Amino acid sequence: MLTTPVADKAWEFAAELRANLMDASLILVWQGGWIRAILQGAAITIAVGTVSMIAGALIGTLCGVIKWARIFPLTLVVDAYTSLVRGVPELLIIYLLFFSSVQFVTQVATAFGYAALADSGYAFIIAIVAIGTISGAYSTEVIRGALASIPPGHIEAARALGIPGRRIFRRIIIPQMLRIAIPGMNNVWQTTIKDTALVSVVGLQELMRTASVGAGSTRNPLIFYLIAAAVYFAITLISQAGFDRIERLVGLRSRK
Amino acid sequence: MNLKVLSLALLLAGVSTAHAAEGELSIGTEGAYPPWSMADAAGNVTGFDADVGNLLCTKLAMKCRFVVQAFDGLIPALKAKRFDVIVSGMSITQDRKKEIDFSVGYAELANMFLVPKTSDLAGIKDIDALLKGLDGKTIGVQTGTTHAHFIEKRVPSANLKTYDTLDNMQIDLASGRVEAAFADASALQDFLAKPEGKDFQFVDVKVQSKFDSTLGEGIGVGIAKENTELKAKIDTALCELVADGSIGKSSQKWFKMDISRSCN
Amino acid sequence: MDMEFLETSMPFLLRGLSTTAALTAISVAIGFNLGLGLALMRLSENRFLAGFAKYYSLVFRGTPLLVQLFLFYYGLGQIGFIKSNAITWWVISDGARCAVMAMALNTAAYTSEILRGGLLSIPAGLKEAAKAAGMSSFLRFRRIEFPLAIRQALPAYGNELILVVKGTSLASTITVLEITGYAKRLMSQTFAIFEVFALAGAIYLVINLTLVMLIRLLEGHLMRHEAR
Repeated sequence: MLTTPVADKAWEFAAELRANLMDASLILVWQGGWIRAILQGAAITIAVGTVSMIAGALIGTLCGVIKWARIFPLTLVVDAYTSLVRGVPELLIIYLLFFSSVQFVTQVATAFGYAALADSGYAFIIAIVAIGTISGAYSTEVIRGALASIPPGHIEAARALGIPGRRIFRRIIIPQMLRIAIPGMNNVWQTTIKDTALVSVVGLQELMRTASVGAGSTRNPLIFYLIAAAVYFAITLISQAGFDRIERLVGLRSRK
Repeated sequence: MNLKVLSLALLLAGVSTAHAAEGELSIGTEGAYPPWSMADAAGNVTGFDADVGNLLCTKLAMKCRFVVQAFDGLIPALKAKRFDVIVSGMSITQDRKKEIDFSVGYAELANMFLVPKTSDLAGIKDIDALLKGLDGKTIGVQTGTTHAHFIEKRVPSANLKTYDTLDNMQIDLASGRVEAAFADASALQDFLAKPEGKDFQFVDVKVQSKFDSTLGEGIGVGIAKENTELKAKIDTALCELVADGSIGKSSQKWFKMDISRSCN
Repeated sequence: MDMEFLETSMPFLLRGLSTTAALTAISVAIGFNLGLGLALMRLSENRFLAGFAKYYSLVFRGTPLLVQLFLFYYGLGQIGFIKSNAITWWVISDGARCAVMAMALNTAAYTSEILRGGLLSIPAGLKEAAKAAGMSSFLRFRRIEFPLAIRQALPAYGNELILVVKGTSLASTITVLEITGYAKRLMSQTFAIFEVFALAGAIYLVINLTLVMLIRLLEGHLMRHEAR
């Protein structure tokens, strides 16, 4: 055993930490309900993240193209959009959407034919609108950057060969853009999934909120937030591995 | 389109799918304020608010559907028609009446301060001494409640800490970050009953709502302004429920005291 | 939105400005140095140091800031050992100080990645030349590597600074009264939700645009040798 006073303190701290966690783990084990709730919360987190990411990618592609092609005056609108989202805290955006634009949400839901579900899926829809909007702004930059890195020579050559504009877009620009954008989109995904934690403030029963409720209910915040952190970390690691795989498959590492 | 199917599947997967039918009363409640409103991991709501809600539904011959919502988001959500009424221990105040309508008051809050037994506030028995003693102290309240506004108005020198949930406020009280917590006595009882509550006690001063306008005029059911028909129905129902003692009985069950308040 | 509302709300919201600024400044001051240390650890040959830096970075970048905040504030606040030690309790007991600690640790992880990228991008030839000229490794770092790394990393670091400013808004969830905290309080008093958050958003935009301008100026100054 180490005998210096600092080491003693450290040992004491570790022992107490262990006692706290063991106590709490016992509670958790006996009331298995929380483990199930956490897993459900994690599922919702992944659902919100995925749908938002897809929505954001669509928005990002549209806006990224607009910005790259410099279509006035749409470029200004897109610029305003990205500047706003990148400059204002996500928490504020979420509060804003949650507390005010409810009519908008109900309209969106009705447009998709899910008016009845809109009532009960309210928090979920707000979450997707909010996180999707935020994700879209970041995706816009990634897509624009990817489009800008396509060697202009390719497009010139295609034009010289007389290939029609739309085909150029479809056969030459899009494939390259998608490949180059993958690492950037990986970053956007990581940010998106972490931003979903913010939606807990509007009451959606995702991972963070479940942990919060559990922490408050059992008065043991340490174990619950540690578990939440661990689950987020797991999601991050797994998706990182997934993206690495995709990058390798698409041959990004190889010489283009 | 595949996207529609995907989003539909995800919506269904993530959310309870009770659809709004005729003859259904949707009730917004906090779900994190024992013993008024508690939601378990599955989303079922119990507590005094749930009882009042259920009693109302039976009286009005409608089906109850509870929607859990953070307390300070209840009013905006009601205005946005996310639900029909609010039953969540919400006090009737002038500020709130500007935004929504309330039914008649059906219950009365006893607002009290919770402090550590070793606090110099512990022995105080009179309201003026209490307000003086609170000067400069760190006080915990829940965001958007009458308790928050009361402290802002009456003890402006206090270091006010606002919390989204009662639980988080109590966690900080237990760890010593706040020197006193101010909320409804019935909700704070819960804390005293738990092991971490053994070193705490109430200050023996009941701050009645008539003491200051910020504390409101009793607990009411929140109703959207244009819903005058529903308000009339609920008013009648509530008066009957108070008169026949059902609300009083429920109150005894959850608070061990009768906090119901008669209509006239 | 009428002028009267603007006149009463703006000063209220601006009360949080000094807190937001302080939170950002102190977190960045601590986080930058910590991040630099971590970057150096990662690039060192000591396997233990490099591994520690790598996993530190992974963990803090792989979990949401909100979770980290709650973990430090509520989670650590639960442990008796922390409560009885005067120093740790001083940090943890107050929402603002706790937030600074959490944000500093968080930004250190991102900063370490950015600086590592900057340090790695220095052409090996420059380092070798410095070695050949007889510079000690400390001198080499101070005169050659660090300045070059900073120039390379500045755009990315500017981005990170803006993220720190946005991160301060999360402190409002642990009772800190910065801009977002005041905005929430104002909203619960006036119910003028859209207006309050629009005002708060505008304040943040101004802060961030100013920050971007300052970074550009700094970039211009550091790269003035490349001016045409």
